[in-house]
Amino acid sequence: MKKIVQHISAFVLAGAILASCSKKIDLAPTNTVNGEKFFTSVDDYEFALTGVYSRLKRNSLYSGINGGSVFLSGVDIAADNFRSGPQNLGNLNTMFRWNYTADNDVIKGAWDAAYVVIQQANLSVRGIDRFRATAPKKVNRIEGQARTLRAFMHLELLRWWATDYDRNSASPGVPYVDVFDIEQKPARPTVKQTYDRMEADLKTAKALLSDTDVPVQSVTSTASANRFYVDSLVVNAILARMYLYANQLDSAIKYSTYVINARPLATAAEFPLIWQDVSSKEVIWSVNYQTIDAPLAREIYRPAVVTEDEERSWLPVTALTSAYQGADVRGPAYFTTRFGVTVLNKYFAKAGVSRPDGIVNFKVFRTAEMYLIRAEALARKNLDQSSLADLNALRTARSATAGAEAGAALLTAIQTERRKELVVEGHRFFDLKRTVRTVNRTQNCSTFCTLLPDNRAWSLPVPQTEIIANPNMQQNPGY
Amino acid sequence: MRKIRLPLLIGLLCLAQILYAQNRVAGKVTAESGAPLAGATVNVKNTNTNVMTDGDGNFSIVAPDNSTLVFSYSGYETVERAIDAASPGNITVALRPVQSALTEVVVTGYTTQTRRQYTGSVNRIAGAEVALQPIASLEQLLQGKSPGLLIQSQSGQPGSAATVTIRGKGSVLGGTQPLYIVDGIQITAADFGGINPGDIETYNVLKDAVATAQYGSRGANGVIVVTTKRGANAKTRFTYDFQYGIQALPKNKLKVMNSAEHLDYELNYDRPDGLNPFGWTTADVDSLSKLNPNWEEAVFRKAKTQQHILSASGGNERTRFFVSGSIFKQDGLVRNTNLDRYTGRANLDHTAGNLKIGLSTTVGYSEFSGTNENDNVITTPLNAFRWTLPYTTPYLPDGSFNTGDVGLNPNPLPDLFLNINRRKQIKGVGSINLDYRLPFVRGVSVRTLWGIDFTDDQNEVYTDINTQANQVVSGGQGAINNNTLRRTRYTGTTSVNYEKRAGDHNFGGGLFTEIVNRTTSSTTFTGYGLSGPLKNVSGITPGTTTNNFIPNVGGTRNAEALISYFFIGNYDYKGKYFVNLTGRRDGSSRLAAGNKYVNYGGAGLGWLLSSENFMQSQAYINTLKLKASYGAAGNASIGDSYEAFEQFGNVSYNGVGGLVLINLKKPNLTWETRRTANVGAEFTMFNSRLNGSIELYSAITNGLYLNRQLSSTNGAGSITTNLGKLKNQGIEVALGYDIIKTRNLTLNFNANWTTNKSEIVALDGNNEIISGISTNRVGERANSVYLVRYAGVDKKTGEALYLKRDGKTTTDVYDPNDAVITGSFDPKGFGGFGTNVSWKGLEFSALFTYQYGYSVYNNARADVENPQYWYSGLSINMLREWKQDGDVTDVPSAFSDFRYATTRFLEKGDFLRLRNVTLGYSLPRSLTDKWKLNGVRVFVQGQNLYTWHSFLGYDPEVASGALTGAQYPALRAVTAGISVGF
Repeated sequence: MKKIVQHISAFVLAGAILASCSKKIDLAPTNTVNGEKFFTSVDDYEFALTGVYSRLKRNSLYSGINGGSVFLSGVDIAADNFRSGPQNLGNLNTMFRWNYTADNDVIKGAWDAAYVVIQQANLSVRGIDRFRATAPKKVNRIEGQARTLRAFMHLELLRWWATDYDRNSASPGVPYVDVFDIEQKPARPTVKQTYDRMEADLKTAKALLSDTDVPVQSVTSTASANRFYVDSLVVNAILARMYLYANQLDSAIKYSTYVINARPLATAAEFPLIWQDVSSKEVIWSVNYQTIDAPLAREIYRPAVVTEDEERSWLPVTALTSAYQGADVRGPAYFTTRFGVTVLNKYFAKAGVSRPDGIVNFKVFRTAEMYLIRAEALARKNLDQSSLADLNALRTARSATAGAEAGAALLTAIQTERRKELVVEGHRFFDLKRTVRTVNRTQNCSTFCTLLPDNRAWSLPVPQTEIIANPNMQQNPGY
Repeated sequence: MRKIRLPLLIGLLCLAQILYAQNRVAGKVTAESGAPLAGATVNVKNTNTNVMTDGDGNFSIVAPDNSTLVFSYSGYETVERAIDAASPGNITVALRPVQSALTEVVVTGYTTQTRRQYTGSVNRIAGAEVALQPIASLEQLLQGKSPGLLIQSQSGQPGSAATVTIRGKGSVLGGTQPLYIVDGIQITAADFGGINPGDIETYNVLKDAVATAQYGSRGANGVIVVTTKRGANAKTRFTYDFQYGIQALPKNKLKVMNSAEHLDYELNYDRPDGLNPFGWTTADVDSLSKLNPNWEEAVFRKAKTQQHILSASGGNERTRFFVSGSIFKQDGLVRNTNLDRYTGRANLDHTAGNLKIGLSTTVGYSEFSGTNENDNVITTPLNAFRWTLPYTTPYLPDGSFNTGDVGLNPNPLPDLFLNINRRKQIKGVGSINLDYRLPFVRGVSVRTLWGIDFTDDQNEVYTDINTQANQVVSGGQGAINNNTLRRTRYTGTTSVNYEKRAGDHNFGGGLFTEIVNRTTSSTTFTGYGLSGPLKNVSGITPGTTTNNFIPNVGGTRNAEALISYFFIGNYDYKGKYFVNLTGRRDGSSRLAAGNKYVNYGGAGLGWLLSSENFMQSQAYINTLKLKASYGAAGNASIGDSYEAFEQFGNVSYNGVGGLVLINLKKPNLTWETRRTANVGAEFTMFNSRLNGSIELYSAITNGLYLNRQLSSTNGAGSITTNLGKLKNQGIEVALGYDIIKTRNLTLNFNANWTTNKSEIVALDGNNEIISGISTNRVGERANSVYLVRYAGVDKKTGEALYLKRDGKTTTDVYDPNDAVITGSFDPKGFGGFGTNVSWKGLEFSALFTYQYGYSVYNNARADVENPQYWYSGLSINMLREWKQDGDVTDVPSAFSDFRYATTRFLEKGDFLRLRNVTLGYSLPRSLTDKWKLNGVRVFVQGQNLYTWHSFLGYDPEVASGALTGAQYPALRAVTAGISVGF
């Protein structure tokens, strides 16, 4: 009996030692924050909003090292502005050769990266309604930006994945995701439905951003550190671009006019400074890039100090470089000859940097595009004179020769001007696509010279992983 | 009454020594192979007289007439031998390894039992058997030594760690690495390069559930319990070991074109980029064809290895010690890579009445200088030396690096020679344990063990201004990255144990509580602008807004804790019927509230058939034991320390800090549970000449971690979920046979073989989860190869052909939907076999290891067979490229779209390797006595001398299933050494 008592007491003692330890396994993260516990004040949401902007610098969107910037370099490589250079790492060859398939990692990277931005935008307003009563204007400022960024990324997706851009098109658009819920498996709405929600988001954002606690940023300042965020002016610019794609000409004219009136074009003297990030003249929105970020459009060209370190994967075709005639300031601003080779100069380096690194801010919207949108919309409405006035205003600002085109020639001239003005800003392939043209390459294009309008490659395939994971997802025709 | 017994006994012994005539008995202790066993204990039975054998296995002891000597050595059976009064002069004893011997001690980390009693599946490898191999990282030494234990060493980089798998991969997404316990505490496997293998006494491989369930949520992948050498009650013995050797490059079966071939390719094989892209003239071709610089020699070298170990061990009745110090220096085959390691160890044991105190400590300092491997980055030297054009010379005539490759391929040498990639590691492992036998309750003892595994890594990556890597450096003027990582894991185990013997019943059991806590912190910075003479942190140029030298600074900090309560018990009846039981409850900080605790347990039964009466009448079987066990252990090796929580991580935009989602919450996440059923037999037969074991196991992993696919429109493509079920079934056989066993000559053969088959049983409703080139499909093996089948070349068009999904029709249109399962990345079977021969002082041993039945995806080959890279080094296979209508070949035209994800680049990985051959000689005693030495042994050995395989690369031992590129060739060395005792 005595033994049994001793045994029991030993076990009880041991048990007592054990029981005191349970708290040791309640450890909270120290190198991250727990999202379910963290967002307890409206100020905490500012961090999440900053997160959305940082996501825009993600690989596969506009910059990247191995992923491939499908939304920037890819748009021009797939078109007719570039040819294979002497040191082609092959990273975006698939875009040049139009042989992408649903299992292509580069395509998947682009699709995923765009939706990651959207995810973060949705998270940055998750539960923010709790604070609307106490800090309505602050909530407006955060939610307005989140909605704008969300709508913008959906437009980016629509440009690559929709087969047709008409406002009322019943062909598949892209899933419009406005809530964070990992279990949803959205089907593709029609293009019309995609536009409906995008438009609603942008209009709501515009209203919210007109009633904020503090302004998001200056509308007029041309300081180099201005325009890194989205405000109601950016909403106008997005709407103008959207309406042009949707072929809603009056609205395109209306919103591009708002922007043109708010931020005038740069002069010929100011123009080169935009590309060195000295001035934000005519910049509507640019994504801030810093030394630690990946270079922009590196798949096309990455500068270096010595020739063997240069990465000259893609070189501009002569048809493009020779199009800048006379005193056109865009020629030297956009292209330069380094070590005997003509290369893209648009993303060379910030001013004053001792060694070029390909890192500058990414100008998402500029006033020049707004002029071109308005000119095109006017021309399509057969208002040739007003259209030509806009086109020539831009040409004059660039010290290029003004023209006197009309009718079909005017429309062609506007497209040519777009090609010259907006090279490697994410437009060329889509401009050909939305106007139902053929890609005609003429220089060093091997067997990849022509892309006819009926080719499947005009729209990217939905990634195979998405098709597998989401039974509601519809693949694009031909894949 | 009890108290006076001991002094009385000692008194009697003293008396005995006086009374009986004393003899000096000399002799030798060897292994069965005849190899001398240094440090074996020779004890005069029932006395405290002990000596240890010297380096030759020789001993000399004073013993009374008619007494008996007891010979013992860890890992070997203990032998008793009566002294022959007539000729007491010379006794030679050959000890049998205890591989199947039932008297062997089974070490499971928390308890020790004899093999006779133990019902689980545990293999033991004596440290002395493998310690001589010239490999720094100790888990690599075990290849081919134990059934069920698969060691895949992918790299020959000094100090690199191998991939270790016990009884098949039980997880697809989670870790499959076993748990490592050294002297009772958990240690990090990646740091094995920092520990001296010479200090290791035994490796114990725990495989079945009754053994691994003791480790609960950490045990599912098996456990390797390592014990280190300890002192003995004997005269202090010093040993000095020295080894020196040379490594040489194995052959690369993937040949690249020489200059003439490459020029032929450029000029005569049509491509989308056109012929003769560099515009060579005939004269150019003539002169360039003659240039065939030896790039291999520029990058590789014959490399030296050397090692010194000095150890001392000894002690008295109450206190025993083992101390050692070692220096290990290994140069890598690749120039500028090496490992320098310095270690020290002190193990101490002290007994004071009912209290035993033990201390085990080791401290190591290592410096690893490495180069990048297993990637496909063009600047990685191990890629660059093959991707450069064959007619580009490494150096210019003036001796400087030639960076003028016309294809603009980077020269690997500046990066290899000028950059520094160095890790300085301080590794400390220490533990102290107390064992107190309660004086007031017979059979009860209390034990506690507290230990720490400490690692301090200083990683230094210096990027020189004149290298390719400098291209992507901010500011382009060189950089230095310094990363400090400090990991501390403490383990504390406390137990109350009870032992009771009553008649035929024998019971033992313990109640345990344990806490394991790991904290990791790291700080990293990268400074730029190292244009001056200083190649270290002092050379950093301060950053300004324009010079792009603003340093990058970061760090992480995390902690996790595990708290456990468990029971381990054993019972036997009549020494013939055995039961082992274990149960454990683990609570983890990494799981969400409400799910933190998980239970595990196992049970084993054993029957010593040969002890039954009906077995006594036959003469063939000496011992036979049958055993069976069943139980469950967990695998907590998934995700990070806070995997179950929704985590936001720090980012910045425009200089402002922000947060982004980096980890989805997983409130229902729990650990994978592996349930293993094991049956086996252990036997010795034919006068104990044949010994062996056979085991069969079936393990089912429930709650298999898989990435449940999500629509990536949510911003997350998948989430780790416990949704699958995986089965691993296998057979393990180990056999040893003594062909010749005479006094002067022994010849022994041993072999082991393991086959393992995995099968995905369920994926929670899904039929298949595909990830890249591998898939997990219900009814198929885990990690099956999933590729589009390559079907050669259309001889008319030169287009690559692929088999459609139906397997019958071919098409020249690549469609990822045509991918099918075409094999597995995991070996079907593996093992080792070898022989030991000894004749007088000479001994010879050979060990072969093999693995078969698996595929390797050779991306390294794909990258030199892609015609898009015509401006780089290419495989000679490209000379078979289709050129014109009618060409019958296996290499498509350069106009055919190049596709990676096809079986064209899938190769068989099977290999047979001559892992180790050793020839040793122990100098005769007459000689060593004259030199006043306690034994001298010399040896020469070859490691990985030859490997039979058909893989197009250096070596098919690729653990991940895919060779990305930049293969660091496997170590291949010849070394010679000497061991001197004094």
